Amino acid sequence: MANYCTFRAIVLHGALQLYRHSRTGPSVAAVRLVSNIVPEGKKAGILESTEEYKFVERLIPPSRVHTPPKHAGPAPSGWIPPSDSPPSLPYMIRRSRMHNIPVYTDLTNGSRKLTLIRKVEGDIWALENDVKQFLKEVTGKELPTQVNEVTMTLKVKGHYDMELKEWLAKKGF
Amino acid sequence: MFRLSLTVCGRTAAKRLASSFSGQSVLPPNLLLPPNLVDPARLKRPRPPADGSLPLLRKCDADVPAHLSPVQMWVETLESPDSEPLGLAELHPDVFAVPPRLDILHSVETWQRNFKRISHANTKVRAEVRGGGKKPWRQKGSGRARHGSIRSPLWRGGGVSHGPRGPTSYYYMLPMKVRVQGLKVALSSKTTQDYLHIVDSLNIPTPDSQFLLDLIRQRNWGESVLIVDVGEAFPENILQATANLKTVNVIPAVGLNVHSMLKHEAVVLTLDSVRFLEDKLLWHDERFTPLYPFKLPYCDL
Repeated sequence: MANYCTFRAIVLHGALQLYRHSRTGPSVAAVRLVSNIVPEGKKAGILESTEEYKFVERLIPPSRVHTPPKHAGPAPSGWIPPSDSPPSLPYMIRRSRMHNIPVYTDLTNGSRKLTLIRKVEGDIWALENDVKQFLKEVTGKELPTQVNEVTMTLKVKGHYDMELKEWLAKKGF
Repeated sequence: MFRLSLTVCGRTAAKRLASSFSGQSVLPPNLLLPPNLVDPARLKRPRPPADGSLPLLRKCDADVPAHLSPVQMWVETLESPDSEPLGLAELHPDVFAVPPRLDILHSVETWQRNFKRISHANTKVRAEVRGGGKKPWRQKGSGRARHGSIRSPLWRGGGVSHGPRGPTSYYYMLPMKVRVQGLKVALSSKTTQDYLHIVDSLNIPTPDSQFLLDLIRQRNWGESVLIVDVGEAFPENILQATANLKTVNVIPAVGLNVHSMLKHEAVVLTLDSVRFLEDKLLWHDERFTPLYPFKLPYCDL
């Protein structure tokens, strides 16, 4: 490392000497550095260029969530796209803005487990019947549910989000 | 609007149900309705022919979900009081046919009234009232009750102990999505109650206020009308016509708010303002959460 530094110092020193010799020698016009050339009669102004702004523009983020590309069947990550035509059921469950199924779990007071189905449209009582029947087949228990007609949400006691998400995805929601 | 809020689709009075899904439409037996609930002249309004003779002037720009269909409205004109509708316009169901969330409407209306409120009521506390530093009489022996200052709240002319203190601000913000949903619910309520009208543009032949009043009276739009258009430039005629009218008002589309929509009975939108509102209100359904405020540039805003 020390050798490298001294080598660089010697090279720089040599270059400086050459420069000084060239400036003070009789053939000044022949050896002139490019930076010393000034165009005759015109002062060098400031050059504005807006072409480099594309490097800034490509960093600005979008505000809209993009639509996912078309997958035939489940995607490699496990995401299942909604079916193109809505299923012929009396209710409809829309996807969230990130194109996922709107089933969420909740844990309050340390041990109170709830599963919430949001964004329901149509006959929510028919959905409640179907959910109760499906969970009876899966777990064997009659689970208490709560329907909120104003906000169109359905709450089920217990954590059953994985089962409900698969079931809804298979239905085509 | 709340007085007539039981009207569904401008039809006969109140077929509201206890639950939306109980099956039949039955009025409860102890329901007492006032006889002037629905103006009968509104029901007898002549309707344009329902067959497909009117051209479709506007389709929805954004994609309509597959399980919903667009709301269809007639496009009218303000040229003369008895001119026929020009055509049909399709409105996006996610803006003009959302479920009627009255609780969201209430909370947005209360927010609009209170968030600007600064109450300047102020009273002086015993320390701020002039005087009262000296003990009025000695503690013991004078026969009177013991007091430390003549400006305590017990005294006449004394300070107020728990009064209003200084300018108080009642500022709070509802979440952006709640306010947006409030606008959508208000527009949908006006649509279902037959109080929303679409107009191609705001060109009137005369700057006469009486012309507008006659037009509104003839078409039975209601007592008060809110006219909405996009942009800052309005035709001179409509500005002069509405300048002296208290019940007919013109606002730009950026100024549309729930309080104005509830205050005026009818809302009139131009085709451009419908496009603007759909664009702005539907963007909130598919946007990311803000990384930085939306006033700063994003690549697609």
